[in-house]
Amino acid sequence: MTVPDTEFRSVEDVQKKLEGVDYIPSREIATVVYLAAATQKPILVEGPAGAGKTELARAIARSLNLRKIRLQCYEGLDEAKSLYEWEYAKQLLYTQMIKEKINQVIATADTISEAVEKIAQQENAFFSERFLLARPLLQAITSDEQVVLLIDEIDKSDPEFEAFLLELLSDFQVSIPELGIWKAKHIPIVILTSNNYRDISDALKRRCIHLYIDYPKKDLEKRIVKLKIPGIEDRLADQLVNAISNIRALDLKKRPCISETIDWAKALMVLQINDLSPQALSDTLNVICKYQADTALVRESIDKVLK
Amino acid sequence: MLNLILNFVRACRTSDLRVSTAEVIDCVRHLELIDVLDEDQFRSALRANFAKSRREQSDFDRIYGLFFHDMRPDVELDANCDPQDTSKEEMHQAIEQMRREAGDDEIAQAIMDFLAGDPIPYLRQIHRLETQTEESSQALKSNLSQLSSRLEVMLRINKTRNRLVQFQQDDQAGGSGKGRSRNRGMAGLLMERLETANRMLTQETRPNNDGLKQVNTYDKKTLGIGERPFANLTEIEIVKMRTIIDQLVRKMKDIMSRRYATRNKGTMDVKKTLRAAQRYQGVPIEIVFRQRPLRKTRVVTLCDVSGSVWSAARFMLNMIYSMQDCFSDVKSFAFVAGPTNITDIFEKHDVNQAIEKVITDADINFNAHTDYGEMLTQFHRNHLNLLSKKTTLIIVGDARTNYQNPCEHLLDAMRAKCRRVIWLNPEPEQFWGSGDSEMNTYKAYCHEVRPCRNLNQLVNFIEDLVF
Repeated sequence: MTVPDTEFRSVEDVQKKLEGVDYIPSREIATVVYLAAATQKPILVEGPAGAGKTELARAIARSLNLRKIRLQCYEGLDEAKSLYEWEYAKQLLYTQMIKEKINQVIATADTISEAVEKIAQQENAFFSERFLLARPLLQAITSDEQVVLLIDEIDKSDPEFEAFLLELLSDFQVSIPELGIWKAKHIPIVILTSNNYRDISDALKRRCIHLYIDYPKKDLEKRIVKLKIPGIEDRLADQLVNAISNIRALDLKKRPCISETIDWAKALMVLQINDLSPQALSDTLNVICKYQADTALVRESIDKVLK
Repeated sequence: MLNLILNFVRACRTSDLRVSTAEVIDCVRHLELIDVLDEDQFRSALRANFAKSRREQSDFDRIYGLFFHDMRPDVELDANCDPQDTSKEEMHQAIEQMRREAGDDEIAQAIMDFLAGDPIPYLRQIHRLETQTEESSQALKSNLSQLSSRLEVMLRINKTRNRLVQFQQDDQAGGSGKGRSRNRGMAGLLMERLETANRMLTQETRPNNDGLKQVNTYDKKTLGIGERPFANLTEIEIVKMRTIIDQLVRKMKDIMSRRYATRNKGTMDVKKTLRAAQRYQGVPIEIVFRQRPLRKTRVVTLCDVSGSVWSAARFMLNMIYSMQDCFSDVKSFAFVAGPTNITDIFEKHDVNQAIEKVITDADINFNAHTDYGEMLTQFHRNHLNLLSKKTTLIIVGDARTNYQNPCEHLLDAMRAKCRRVIWLNPEPEQFWGSGDSEMNTYKAYCHEVRPCRNLNQLVNFIEDLVF
């Protein structure tokens, strides 16, 4: 019996393992993933929407049999939503419920300062892990086994949040004023994705290694299609990938991504179309184009697309 | 190996790629883990550590190609040479001789260094050329000084080429059979390097700006007047336009406030909750939440007010100022040649009045030629402190610079300071880059570019900006 591997051994090993979970990485992706895992550095992944940035994190988690924790960034995301929060409501409720007990504790006290002293001794009961609501980042750090931490669309967050991430990503520790500094039990594999909405600060970039994922080259995309849809004919796959890459070259509002290529291939299979004619393309265009203007543009340049 | 990497890092730094010591250490650690003889892996490792964004990757690729392919580091040469081979020595001698001839001419020395296998001084020269700004002279402006310095470098390259040919001929006259062929190999290498130097001088380098958001399509909300270019509006239509803008602004503010009403529940406010609990003998029946503050977006607008552009810019300003409640801070500048702060005028007067006032009262020299380079230089010098990571910089203009130096590296510096750079161009896209339009140059340094020549496009833009 083979024990599931929990680490990557070499660049080739990364390639093999990722392919084992249906993710075909390019040589560059495999190298960077291997280096990041081996030296415990976060990866900053950039690339157009739908090129497989988030999917990479998912694939790494699956291939190593690790839990994936995801933090979706947005404007206004703060520590309370990303790291931890005290459960005030619960604390207040507990205080109410154990009021009797508190009275007992301070019953023997003669002066007020003595009573305060006695309550202070019990403080730990209120600021303990019981009342701590762990958000994704804290979960990733305190988890008993290694996890894959995906911080998605970091460019959407505020600069303050980025600054706050620095402590976490360089030392893998967080400080909670009431409880002290918590160090990570296992250093997670961290993946940050960015859509280039704004530039990431230099300080954060310095702590990560960088990876750019573009739309796959034609032969790679064909391999992906054939992997996901084993029954597809070679000729159709060729036509399909060719057409998609031509469509991507058009000036569209939203370029079709890999998952849309696959959806399209599935649609063609269901309709039992074995040859991509202009008519077939025109009929199934809704699968790949999500805007009216885009659909119209592709229809206009249908000759160019099927060339 | 370490020396090779360090030299490469120096070359990167000379071309403005920021590489920190920590990153070099990481990279060396990484190289120990991989098979360095596999070029894919080697390049990936270097790239992942030294080029930390898509924009820097093209710069990195250029230097990588130069350093590891064009220059062919001397390591390879040593391996092929047998000990008795004197050609390497001769090559050095030739270079030394040319060096002596050149004297203390900095550029020529840099070319010699380049030939000898050290590209760094030459890269520095090229970088200096690219970021050169005009000596600010009031009377006569041109971008000739940049061109002439380029020419100077080119002349020196030509001179060196002639010398090399001469060496080759001398050599052929004197040398013996075997040595000659080897020498020819050497001279060939030098020639190749010289051609690389020449190519570097003539090619334009622009960062790869894949992340650029270029918006060409838009919803056609209001037909008729919504589709008319700003420049073609009549007086009556301008008045009509203002009413439409007022309506739109009111509608958008409604949507905004509704959004905040549902969104502004933040974390629990302990103080207030406890205070409310006093009424019920300390039982927290009511839980009070903090109000979330409005988003603090700052906007800095740079508005071209020369001639045709102004017709679009006035509506643009109108819109931004009407939406001021949505931003915590708006600063505006108008320019023809140098930027003038018009924020005050807008704060003191009603929008429409203010717009008229900008044309009549503000201290703007309307007779000057539009000069974007000058505008950027002055803004960079005097107002850079206005930009922070919360600022959105909006530039409105046609990017027609009257063939002056565009100073695009200053825009790059400004981009590094702020959150987003958005360029609105009142010209339709097919005219960008024609004639004296430097739009394609500036485009590489923006986060977003849009043609903005009618109401619908403007409304689309404002919606994107606010929501």
